[in-house]
Amino acid sequence: MTAPSWNRLRPVVAGAVIALTAVPVGGAVVLGVVFGESPCILCWAQRTSMVLIALVGLFVLRYGPRPKYLGMAVLLGTWGTYMSLRHAALHLARDVGQGFAMPFFGVHTYVWAWVIQWAALAVIGVLLLALKEKPADEEIREPGRLGGFAMVLFVVVVAANALQAFATTGPPPFIGQADPLRFSLNPRHWVWMDEELAGRISLRGSWTIPRPDPAAVDADTDPANGPLAGPPTLAIEAWERITPPLDGRLTDLARDPATGRFLAVTDRFEVSVLDSTLARVEQHVTLDHQYSIDLTPLAGAAFVGDTLAVLATNKSYVLLRPDPDADPVREWRHFRETSGDVVELRRSRFATVRARQMYVLSLAYDREADELITVSVPSTRQRRMVVSRFARGDLTLASEFVPRLGPGLTPSGPDRSLAEYVVTAATVVDGTLYAFSAAYSTVLALDLETKLVTAAYAVPGIERPVGLAVRGSELLVAQADGRVAVVERPEAKFNLR
Amino acid sequence: MEFLNFVLILCAGWVIWRRPEKERLAFGLLVVSCLIMALLFLIGTHTSLVPGVNL
Repeated sequence: MTAPSWNRLRPVVAGAVIALTAVPVGGAVVLGVVFGESPCILCWAQRTSMVLIALVGLFVLRYGPRPKYLGMAVLLGTWGTYMSLRHAALHLARDVGQGFAMPFFGVHTYVWAWVIQWAALAVIGVLLLALKEKPADEEIREPGRLGGFAMVLFVVVVAANALQAFATTGPPPFIGQADPLRFSLNPRHWVWMDEELAGRISLRGSWTIPRPDPAAVDADTDPANGPLAGPPTLAIEAWERITPPLDGRLTDLARDPATGRFLAVTDRFEVSVLDSTLARVEQHVTLDHQYSIDLTPLAGAAFVGDTLAVLATNKSYVLLRPDPDADPVREWRHFRETSGDVVELRRSRFATVRARQMYVLSLAYDREADELITVSVPSTRQRRMVVSRFARGDLTLASEFVPRLGPGLTPSGPDRSLAEYVVTAATVVDGTLYAFSAAYSTVLALDLETKLVTAAYAVPGIERPVGLAVRGSELLVAQADGRVAVVERPEAKFNLR
Repeated sequence: MEFLNFVLILCAGWVIWRRPEKERLAFGLLVVSCLIMALLFLIGTHTSLVPGVNL
């Protein structure tokens, strides 16, 4: 690099080092000493990466912009960006005003680190663009007055950081903490830990949730092995079947009590309205599952008045309505295929709290409460059954609960629980949620007011149940192959209201 | 460990400032500090290396 070029760039580098050292790194020490703010183990690593970028700046000031320094700065910037993304992801999606520890100018420190890493990469890019001359030589350079100040400031601030690190994280082998205590100069309050070493290595941690196949749940179907002791048996009285061919395997079947029509959905995103005999398709569409909202295979269906509600396993939903005046041009974006007389009203996602990180395989509509209902399915990471209710008006979570066993029902063993059931079909009638579990082939009657399971019945002979509907005094249990078992609708065993 | 890492960085900064002829030592300290920083971050995230969001 020629002398004029270096003389022009040197104050830029020195200024960047001073800004980086003084504001985020030095400011972090001030936050600790003045406000007691202590960094967590991830904050420490991010702060260190900024210090190291500043250190690379000192190398450049002293030895010139050698390729290995710029390469190291780029590596630090890319690693720092990953760290910032990984760290900030813990908190970015929380509710408004919620974050981790104290914000700095309204933004939390883990996000500032993200911004600074990006800025560092941008500065390096500008420097590389400015390097039009021959590569730097091997001489030791005078840093200039500003560069000299940057070096002094760096040493002072890093020494202060070392002291803070000693007080809050301790000497090796102790390391930083996930939830650090507030900073104190009093050694009596210093707590040194290595708890971050505990736990198994995992790529996605609690987000390792396998996606269930709505038409083929892998589970023990023998009611005798279920978590409830001795449920009575409901015998299959007759079999019916969906006569028209469907595109894909059936994943839910709902019945409209007002008209007797059925709503069928498949794992290939087909939605069909069938007549009351299951013999004729009145309307049908095949959803474009890649348009806008990511739809996993459909697993739930319900009539909500004259609206058709269909639900994917990831709790994304689509509202449809039969309409003979449907505009084919407008609906082209929604449907891969259509009978031409259906419109899409809305496509969005249900947000849950207790059922977060859980998939669902059923959808029901409670007319009395005017709410849609889902029942979560357990996974190796989330072992519980959660009933989520969504108000029809705004399609937002209205309430959620984990059902408990009612009187007269007992677990079949000390470690057995309702969480072992895998509910793949559900329907509501008269305040009772009937939920059919593919695991142990059992139908549960759940009182929605008391939140208690009031009765359970084994239904042997069902293979891959996907849909549940009420027809008068009958329960219709639909299988993935399109066959429908007819059983007598049991009453809730106990009147708990 | 964070304390140790800052001491190493402090040494590197000191060498650049007061003993600039020992560039190889300073750069070696920089590399070691980078590795310690990465190791500590991976320890802190080893139960979920990828961000816990929809990717």
